[in-house]
Amino acid sequence: MNEISYIIQVLVSGLGLGCIYGLIGIGYCVIYNASGIVNFAQGAFVMLGGMITQLLLWNHGVPLLLSGAIAVACVVAIAIVIERIVVRPLWDRNASTFVMILATLAVQIVLEGATLLIAGDQPKTLPVFTDLPPLRIGTVAISYQLIWIAAASAVIIFGLAAFFGHTRVGKAMRACAINREAAALQGIRVSTMLMMAFALSAALGAIAGILVTPTQVTAFNVGLPFAIAGFIAAIVGGFGRPFGAFLGGLALGVTQAGAVVVFGSGFKSGAALAVLLIFLFVRPQGILGTAK
Amino acid sequence: MALLATVALSACYGHVEALKPTDIRVEDGEFVAVLGPNGAGKSTLMRAIMGLVPNRGAVHFHDEALPRRDPAALASRGVILVPEGRGIFGPMSVAENLELGAYLVGRHTAEFESRLARVLALFPRLRERLSQTAGSMSGGEQQMLAVGRALMANPRILLLDEPSLGLAPRVTAEILETLGELNRQGLSVILVEQKAPLALRLANRAYLLSLGKIVAEINPREVQSYDEIARYYFAT
Repeated sequence: MNEISYIIQVLVSGLGLGCIYGLIGIGYCVIYNASGIVNFAQGAFVMLGGMITQLLLWNHGVPLLLSGAIAVACVVAIAIVIERIVVRPLWDRNASTFVMILATLAVQIVLEGATLLIAGDQPKTLPVFTDLPPLRIGTVAISYQLIWIAAASAVIIFGLAAFFGHTRVGKAMRACAINREAAALQGIRVSTMLMMAFALSAALGAIAGILVTPTQVTAFNVGLPFAIAGFIAAIVGGFGRPFGAFLGGLALGVTQAGAVVVFGSGFKSGAALAVLLIFLFVRPQGILGTAK
Repeated sequence: MALLATVALSACYGHVEALKPTDIRVEDGEFVAVLGPNGAGKSTLMRAIMGLVPNRGAVHFHDEALPRRDPAALASRGVILVPEGRGIFGPMSVAENLELGAYLVGRHTAEFESRLARVLALFPRLRERLSQTAGSMSGGEQQMLAVGRALMANPRILLLDEPSLGLAPRVTAEILETLGELNRQGLSVILVEQKAPLALRLANRAYLLSLGKIVAEINPREVQSYDEIARYYFAT
C-alpha cells in the first residue's frame, strides 16, 4: 500500500469512529437544547448499549437485531428513570450547570459500578453485522461494519432532520431550545420535552454503542472516554447544534486517526483535547455556532 | 363571577418583593388595562399570573384556582400571554410559530385550519411571510406574529405585555385596533401598557400600578385629563 492509500485508509477509519462521536455529540445537544443540561452520563448510554446487546446475544442466544432493539429499549428506560429521579428534582430546584454536570457524572459512575457488578470486568465484543471480507476500492479496504456505521448514522441524521422539522414534538423541542419560557406559554410541557430528550439521546448513545462494539471491545469503563469524545464533538460543532455535533464528531475522528498515524496511538486522547483547546481559543462558538 | 381574578398575588425576585399582594379581576368580555411607569410591577403581575415567577397568593379562572408554577397548564385552559419582547421563535418559520401557538390542537385538524384562516384574515401580512424565518421580520410584523400565535391557541383571555414596545405609532395603532376588534367579538383582554392614552382608548377599566401595588382603579370614561394619571407616574 502506498502512502496516499494509507492516509486515505486512516481517514476512512477515522470517519467511522467520527460518526460514533457525532451520534454521542448529538445526544448532548438534544438534552442541552431541551433543558440547558450537559449530561455527562451520555457515555454510559453508549457502554450500556453494547453491554446489554452482548449479554442478550451471548448469554441468552437472542438474535443480534432483536438484542440490539431490546438494548436500546432498556437504555431508554434507564435514561427515563435517571431523568425522573436525579435530573428532574435538581432541574426543578434550578440547580446550576456545575451541579448538573456533577450529578450526571455521578450517574455515569454508578452505572459503571452496577455494570461491573453484573457483567464483570472482562472486555466483551460483538460479532460484525456482516461477516464478509472488506470492500476494496482501489487499495483502500472498507469494512462492512464501517459501512453499517456510516449508513446507520446517515439514516439517523435524516431521521432526526425529519423529526425536528416535521413532527409536532420535534418542533416543540426546537421551540424549547430557542425559548423555554415562550414554549411553556404555548402549552408545551417543557419537563415532558426534557424526558423525551433524555429518551432520544439515550437511544442515540445506545445505537452508537451497538454499532461501535464490533470494531473494538466494550467494557464497564468505556463510557467516560466516549462521553468526553462526544462532548468535544458537540463543542467543536457548536454546542446545541445537533448537525454541527455530527460534523464535530467527524472532524474529531479524522484528527484522532491522523494523530495515531503521525505520533502513535498514545496521542489519540491528546489529539482530541488539542482539537478542543484549538476550538476554544480560535472559534469557541464551534463550526456551526454563531458568535456571542 | 369574574373570568380571571387574582387574590393577594405577590411576587419576589430574590428578596425583593416586586409585586405586593394584588387583587385584580377581569370579567368575561372585558378589556382591562394595567398602567404604570417603568418598574411599577406590571410585567411582574403578568408573569406572576402565568406562574413564570415565584409567587404567592392565588389566581382564579372561572372560580377554579390555577396552578401557580405551570404556565403550560394555564395555556391549556385558554389563559394566554404575549410576553414582553414577544417571545417568538426567531429561527423558526412564521408558519411553524403559528403551528406552535395551536400546539395543543395539532396541525392536521379542521380546528387548526379554521384558527389559521382567522389569524391570517386578521393579519394578512403574515400570509405573505409564512415560509419566512420569524426573526427576519420587522418588529411590527413580529408583534403581529406574537399576537397571531396567541390567537392560534383560541384564548379565553389574552394577556399582552407592552405590545407597543419599540414599534412605530402606526403599527402600534394597527395592532391595538385589531385587539379592540377581538374584544368586541367577545375576547377578554388584559393589556399592560406604559402609554396610558393608547390603552385607555380601548379599555373598559384600568388598574394603575406604582411601586408594585395598585394605587388606583380607573374608569376610562371618567378620565378628564391624563394629568391625573401622569401624577401617579411621577409620584414614584
